[in-house]
Amino acid sequence: MNALPYSGEATTAAAVARVEQGRLARPNGWWGMALFVATEATLFGTIIGTYFYLRFNNLHWPPPGVPEPKLTLPLVLTGLLVATSVPVQFAVVTASRGQLARARAALLLAAIVQAGYLGMQLHLFVHDVHEFPPSGSAYSSIYFTMLGAHHLHVFVGILLIFWILLRTATGLTSYRMNGLRATAFYWYFVNVLALCVVGTQLSPLA
Amino acid sequence: MATTVTEPGLERVERLGRIWVEPRGLLGWLRTTDHKRIGLLYFFTTLAFFGAGGIEALLMRTQLAQPNEKVLSPETYDQLMTMHGVTMIFLFVIPMTTGAFGNYLIPLMIGARDMAFPRMNALSYWLFLASGLFMYASVFMHVAPNAGWFDYVPLALKEFNPGRNIDFYALGLIFNAVSSTAAAINFIVTIFKLRAPGMSINRMPLFCFAMLAVSLSLIFALPSLTIDLVYLELQRNLGFHFFDVAHGGDALLWQHLFWLFGHPEVYIIILPAFGIATSIIPTFSKRKMIAFPLVALAELLVAFIGFGVWAHHMFATGLPTITLVFFAAASMMVVIPSSIQVFAWTVTVALGRPEFRAPLLFIGGFIVFFVLGGLTGIMFAAIPFDQATTDTYFVVAHFHFIIFGAAVFPILGGMYYWFPKVTGRLYHEGLAKLSFWLTFLGTALTFFPMHIIGLLGMPRRVYTYPSSLGWGAYNLSETIGAFILTAGLLLIFGNLLYSRFRGAPAGPDPFFGGTLEWATTSPPPPYNFPVIPTVTSAYPNWDAEDRQADLRRLERGELVLDKGHETPASTVVDAVPDEVLEMPGESPWPLAVAVCTGLLFIMLLTQHYAVAGVFAGFALLCVAAWHAKEPQES
Repeated sequence: MNALPYSGEATTAAAVARVEQGRLARPNGWWGMALFVATEATLFGTIIGTYFYLRFNNLHWPPPGVPEPKLTLPLVLTGLLVATSVPVQFAVVTASRGQLARARAALLLAAIVQAGYLGMQLHLFVHDVHEFPPSGSAYSSIYFTMLGAHHLHVFVGILLIFWILLRTATGLTSYRMNGLRATAFYWYFVNVLALCVVGTQLSPLA
Repeated sequence: MATTVTEPGLERVERLGRIWVEPRGLLGWLRTTDHKRIGLLYFFTTLAFFGAGGIEALLMRTQLAQPNEKVLSPETYDQLMTMHGVTMIFLFVIPMTTGAFGNYLIPLMIGARDMAFPRMNALSYWLFLASGLFMYASVFMHVAPNAGWFDYVPLALKEFNPGRNIDFYALGLIFNAVSSTAAAINFIVTIFKLRAPGMSINRMPLFCFAMLAVSLSLIFALPSLTIDLVYLELQRNLGFHFFDVAHGGDALLWQHLFWLFGHPEVYIIILPAFGIATSIIPTFSKRKMIAFPLVALAELLVAFIGFGVWAHHMFATGLPTITLVFFAAASMMVVIPSSIQVFAWTVTVALGRPEFRAPLLFIGGFIVFFVLGGLTGIMFAAIPFDQATTDTYFVVAHFHFIIFGAAVFPILGGMYYWFPKVTGRLYHEGLAKLSFWLTFLGTALTFFPMHIIGLLGMPRRVYTYPSSLGWGAYNLSETIGAFILTAGLLLIFGNLLYSRFRGAPAGPDPFFGGTLEWATTSPPPPYNFPVIPTVTSAYPNWDAEDRQADLRRLERGELVLDKGHETPASTVVDAVPDEVLEMPGESPWPLAVAVCTGLLFIMLLTQHYAVAGVFAGFALLCVAAWHAKEPQES
């Protein structure tokens, strides 16, 4: 029993690395996030399901007077967002080996790109609201609900990454390492979601 | 050979007591992260809501006792009927079975010292309490939800329901769903990761399988309700269009999403009852459950099939025939796992040496009502029968046999069964048996005649009926039954209250139960077990040699884990010990987060969206403060 890794004592980067390598199974925090992601995925599944349910109930989609979605910019932005999974994964790997400085630099890079993405998306969102307000039709209602929900998730992801950056400024502990893993998991999920959402958003073009 | 505990062992036990003790008094309870205290908080809160839901039911039964009564106005009746449904489902049965029973028992049954996320556990409770108070505020302001617990559009839209009633419903249930989701995640991770060494998944108590199935159902079912409620709020208050045909929406969208949640919800209500039954039956039959793996799989299968049957609530809405046939077939499939369990329960009793004490009597009542309600359930899977009886009292009879007779009877039996564990005292057996017969007769008399008046054509959800139809006698007997039932329930709570102070001492294991909660003292110490138990079978408390080995480990200091607030984490399937976790101790932040969230929802209700944003910010700051103190720093 005494050989078991003890998370309470892992308060330095080197000790965290030992706990990380000594473990057989995934930690509780990983499971908690996995289940949270499962429920969130169901939420988005329902939203996307609603989108197509309403689409098949309408002859014209988007309805007359509402412009078709633009193709290029949403795709480019989504590509940019998904690319930030690379530095996030790099941060997890380096931190679990005890290389905290490299992990934090990667997280900072990811957060800056993500914040840029969110700024651009919010700009587009406001522009679209002025062009075809959500109160106009079922199409615009589900369009803005879906995009709004996703932007909110990106926002939460960025907050989490900033929180981890803030906490790891004073070093790494097992608790923070689990937080980083959970944040990264959430972030990959938001990226998969981005692909599903942009696919749905652009589906009238197909 | 009993092993006696010597000086070093006692010292370790004392040290554990010092490490895990929580402050007494109000402040201690407000900051608590002890799963047993949180379980008790859930218990008393849900009991209060049960009382409220019961009073609502009695008022409705009084109004319906005779034709053309004028006890309640139609509007008041609508509000009471809606709140009765919402209360009993969201504020009583689910939080009682998961929050109270699950919280108190799961860590004890799996040999852990707390839930996987103790502070999130506290948060679940405070959010639940706040959401319940939020919804009940509407009752005192006479603007309680009034469109039924299913809240169908277009009745629930602004045009037809301009008050705040529906906004209380929608926001209150979104709020409640946050609590339930957090609790469900916590249960699953606890069950997966905190099981005692050796408790591989095939040795896990069936109660835990049932709670696992419930929790999985919750995390996959609640989102569709949540998003449905979000759509409803957006349409009511911000002019979005989801449910009105004029702008390309569809009223049936509400029903699809509602029942996509609503039917799994039915199994979320009934599954804990299965879990409680599978705990009580082996103890009082003095043998292991037969077909243990089949019962475990059946519990999970019920939850799974529950996701494929929602449209059987919509057989009368004009869906295409092919859709109806699919859902009818899927609905009939539920019979298979349900029957496996009914046979396993009855055969276990038949093959054992049953001792019909009060908890087992309640399980007997449960099986009777479950079979009767199940049989009418199969009848509804036949589409023509469903279309003939839809919206009649036949449906009310069916689901009350299931939701009251089958879901609540095991809760009542479970209260008696675990009462000695929680209080350290025995309940009064004679009064307990009397209370069973009163509730059993009351339930039968209240809900059985509803089948008949349903077939005679009495519609549900009506506040009165004319005298010329001959329904008066049936309704009167239902009302009398409801009061007998109330007397039975009051006798139960009176018995428990009396026994709490005057009952005979129970000792750790008065019923010779097989699961681990009986291996520790009654009531359990804050750290649950002085030594983390090691498990070699599905009924570890019947393995006397293993329990002796635990005592020897205490002497040697193995698996005592008394360096801090510790519990072991193990691998998911085989429960091989993997890591020693430092668990967080008491914290004021979960309560603070719940308060901020409550204010956020009040601001959403009154449509002060900017202020709501401020409170969301405060809630986030509280979450940050909560996580800033890491477990090893406490």
